[in-house]
Amino acid sequence: MRRGRGRAAVALVLVLLGFLVVVQARSQAQDQGLSQLSVQDLTELVANVTTRNNQLRDEVATLQQQRQALAAAVQRGDTSTTQMRSDLSQILGWSGVVGVAGQGVQVTAAGPLPPLAITQLVNELRNAGAEAIAVNGVRIVPGVVATGEAGNLSVGGTPLASPLVFLAVGQPETLAGSLSRAGGIIAQLTAQYPSVTIRVDAEDLVTLPATTRVLAPTLGRPRL
Amino acid sequence: MTSLARRVRAIPSWQVTLTVALLALGFLIAAQMAAEGPRVQYTSQERTPLVSTVLDLQKQQGQLEQQVLDARAAIAQLEAAGQGGAAVSQDLNAELQSAQISAGLVAMTGPGLVIELSDSTVPVPADGNEQDYLASGADVLTVVDQLWAAGAEGIAINGERVVVSTAVVDIGGSVVVNGAYVAAPYQITALGPASMLDTLTHLPGFVDFMHARQVAYGIGVAVATPDSVDLPAYAGSVILRYGRPQATPLPSVAPGAMAVP
Repeated sequence: MRRGRGRAAVALVLVLLGFLVVVQARSQAQDQGLSQLSVQDLTELVANVTTRNNQLRDEVATLQQQRQALAAAVQRGDTSTTQMRSDLSQILGWSGVVGVAGQGVQVTAAGPLPPLAITQLVNELRNAGAEAIAVNGVRIVPGVVATGEAGNLSVGGTPLASPLVFLAVGQPETLAGSLSRAGGIIAQLTAQYPSVTIRVDAEDLVTLPATTRVLAPTLGRPRL
Repeated sequence: MTSLARRVRAIPSWQVTLTVALLALGFLIAAQMAAEGPRVQYTSQERTPLVSTVLDLQKQQGQLEQQVLDARAAIAQLEAAGQGGAAVSQDLNAELQSAQISAGLVAMTGPGLVIELSDSTVPVPADGNEQDYLASGADVLTVVDQLWAAGAEGIAINGERVVVSTAVVDIGGSVVVNGAYVAAPYQITALGPASMLDTLTHLPGFVDFMHARQVAYGIGVAVATPDSVDLPAYAGSVILRYGRPQATPLPSVAPGAMAVP
């Protein structure tokens, strides 16, 4: 009887112990500064992460379709390259190696803006879902950045004349709304640089050139 | 000595187990209370479900990213396997692979450096703005731009590859990169030539940044130059929904093969 009660006590304590180990491990893993964010920040974060997750779901669905179509083609002995050509075309368009055309916006900025303002405008367009961006005929890709000083800017080594004309492919209302919203990037920049004017126009068709930057790595190697 | 040993031996083994377990339990309860202390203090009623929503979404994001990478790897394998030696297909496959590398869809390794940006440890003066003393999204954007200007050929921020669609968004004291939540310190890894650090430290934009942020507010800027750096693959979407790619320069196509619109 004594032995039985002792075992029961040990079992109970061990169960509690296990429970607490799990709770403790979870609460350690959870904190990533999240508990320091305000309700508003957390709401914005939920929106951001949700958007990305939805894009990822679309991407997974598309890739799985491609995969099934390819597997079926391989089984049939079909060596058609249609799918591969379409993949290649998408990646080249997305990454800026070829030109892209579609609906979008034109953003016209007149007045002296510093390089960081160009980066911030481009960053906001990307955040709003722009699929391709160019400024004064220069396609913006990784490595093509604004340098110089306000009134004497270059982007990717090409001097920029005023006004700056950005073209972006994407959903026009979303892009325009995101830039123009109260407290948005246009409000911030025009408050900070009072002599600058920025206007956004929705466009049925904008045509962006390919980048002239060589994107192929010369130093890096694929990591297997 | 012997009597003590005998007494210990006389204690039933379950009591020893119980004692050890209770001790561990005590430690864990203390640790749990210590961990929860500040959170209980700051957590408003609506925040807890929001935090757990973010955590759930982040978990989903990790799984979805893995699914994207797995599907891409499987497709690449099928494409390589299905070629049957046709020269056009082999060229096309090679071109597809190099397009993926140039686009940032492949993990890379090579020479480079890591810059770490961390929040200031300087006490915030009574009339100061606390936000000015935190490493921000604008700081990350500035350093990324300066690294490109210094000759970087690839960049990642805390494990998120910087690609053509990458936005860095401020959320409270943290940032969202590629739609993924990233907290300070920010490790910006740049793959590039050995001269990159020297070039960087001479760029007017970087010198201005150091004065405006490190000197004025104490934002931490540390540099590491390991033998090699690794960049992860971008695991996000590359789908163009609104844009149509223009005619692409492709390897010579055999007569009768399908042309690309």
